[in-house]
Amino acid sequence: MTLLDVTGLRAGYGAGEVLHGIDLSIDAGEVAVVLGANGAGKTTIMRCVAGLLAPSAGTISLDGDAVPLGSPDTMVARGVSLVPQGRGTFTALTVLENLRVGATSRRDDDVESDLQRWMDTFPVLADRRGQLAGTLSGGEQQMLAVARALMSRPRLLLCDEPSLGLAPLIVKDLFEVLARVNEELGMAMLIVEQNAQLALGIAEHVHLLEVGHVIATGTSEEFQANDAVRRSYLGY
Amino acid sequence: MQELLLRLFSGLTNGSIYAIVALALVVVFRGTGTINFAQGEMALFTTYVAWWLTTLGIPVWITIVGAASLGFALGAIVERTLIRPVRAKNDMATLIVALGLFIAFNGLAGVLFGPITKQMPSLFPNDLDTYLLIGGARLYFDALGVWIVVLGLLGVTFWLFNRTTLGLQMRAVANNPESARLVGVRAGRIMMLGWGMAGAIASVAGVLIAPLSPQQLSLQTMFHVLIFASAAALLGGLNSTTGAVVGGLFIGLLQAILIGYVPAVGGELQQTAALAIIVMILLVRPTGLFGQKVTERV
Repeated sequence: MTLLDVTGLRAGYGAGEVLHGIDLSIDAGEVAVVLGANGAGKTTIMRCVAGLLAPSAGTISLDGDAVPLGSPDTMVARGVSLVPQGRGTFTALTVLENLRVGATSRRDDDVESDLQRWMDTFPVLADRRGQLAGTLSGGEQQMLAVARALMSRPRLLLCDEPSLGLAPLIVKDLFEVLARVNEELGMAMLIVEQNAQLALGIAEHVHLLEVGHVIATGTSEEFQANDAVRRSYLGY
Repeated sequence: MQELLLRLFSGLTNGSIYAIVALALVVVFRGTGTINFAQGEMALFTTYVAWWLTTLGIPVWITIVGAASLGFALGAIVERTLIRPVRAKNDMATLIVALGLFIAFNGLAGVLFGPITKQMPSLFPNDLDTYLLIGGARLYFDALGVWIVVLGLLGVTFWLFNRTTLGLQMRAVANNPESARLVGVRAGRIMMLGWGMAGAIASVAGVLIAPLSPQQLSLQTMFHVLIFASAAALLGGLNSTTGAVVGGLFIGLLQAILIGYVPAVGGELQQTAALAIIVMILLVRPTGLFGQKVTERV
């Protein structure tokens, strides 16, 4: 069943258009990845879907209903949560406060049990719960950013370059957690990643982006078998 | 000793007023990144309204609630209708809007209530014989009352900031507006509430200080309060609520000591002297006493 459907998305900053008509869809429970060079528009797609940026044209639908564009509180309430590039943790708030504020969109009473759940998943956050987020290491902040996004109980988790600037071992841990969350909770994920090898390992579908267009879409296996893609993105 | 205590009492009273106005400035600054230069004049206007209500026979303690409510509404309306649209186009232009509002609210108070100085009745008993004797020095009830109200107001504000969901959302917006929007905080609404809160806090300061001020309630009453409150906010660190309070009390006490013990700066020079000392402190600590540049690891 289609969870997210993006059609004809055009967006940019000021006069410069970055996305020239993007079509993309994600099924419930699926992990998809967007590959592309710097400046191809990967982050812009994420910002549009999360509601931070209002596209100039196109529609974004969840469960078949078009959603209002450029409204982040609607998107998070409808179950779409973004882990932004550069993490965007609240550096002057404690780890626990970061997690609590992540549940802003929720109206149910299970916030405390979710706090416990994600601190069990990321034990380093439990150890540092009273510490200001600004004092955490880059890897710890990335864990916090992911956990904060999970606190909203999303159905679709958007991750914008989660591996950026992190040590390989930490990246491996992080992707293992993402895979586990996907499996246990059936949470769909859309991941933007420079590290293609890593991304193909976790994703079912791949969308290849080039200067504002999706130029190819296929399964992870198809992409790995494609020589041109292998040379350009995997380097072997 | 007696002399010193008297100076300290008066310094604490003025300082506590600077402290809460500085707190109002910090609340606005953290949300919007602007020093609201009109904060004092908005409070002047609501204090005039409170005075007008007392002339209708309404008890002072009700008029202070009225002034605070009006201050809240004015702050929220100003943010929504003037600050937000301008800020979307040009961040720095909000400073000019604030300066414009300064003149507008002062002018409005002048037009509606006239240039003649008013006697704002005190919230507390203020006869010449209502005092406590501490170490031989008289602590008048009206000064003590100001301390107690300010203390209560600070308690409520800090509780709100640090113990409630609304406060958490306000701090989140102050820290990272985009991430706050991402988790579903309605940042616009939060800023409007922040401006409203600041308006209410400053209005309370206005009603408290008017009966004690050498100017009583006149069009100049809030001007020097705003100057010292701005200095207090800067001294404490513009984004620190604790800093605002400490800065305000420090400046109040510093002023009282300078007037009392440094004859050269008594009278007209005292304001310059106090500000000069603050500049010197800021030269050594540009982020203020409590303002932290949070060191972020990447």
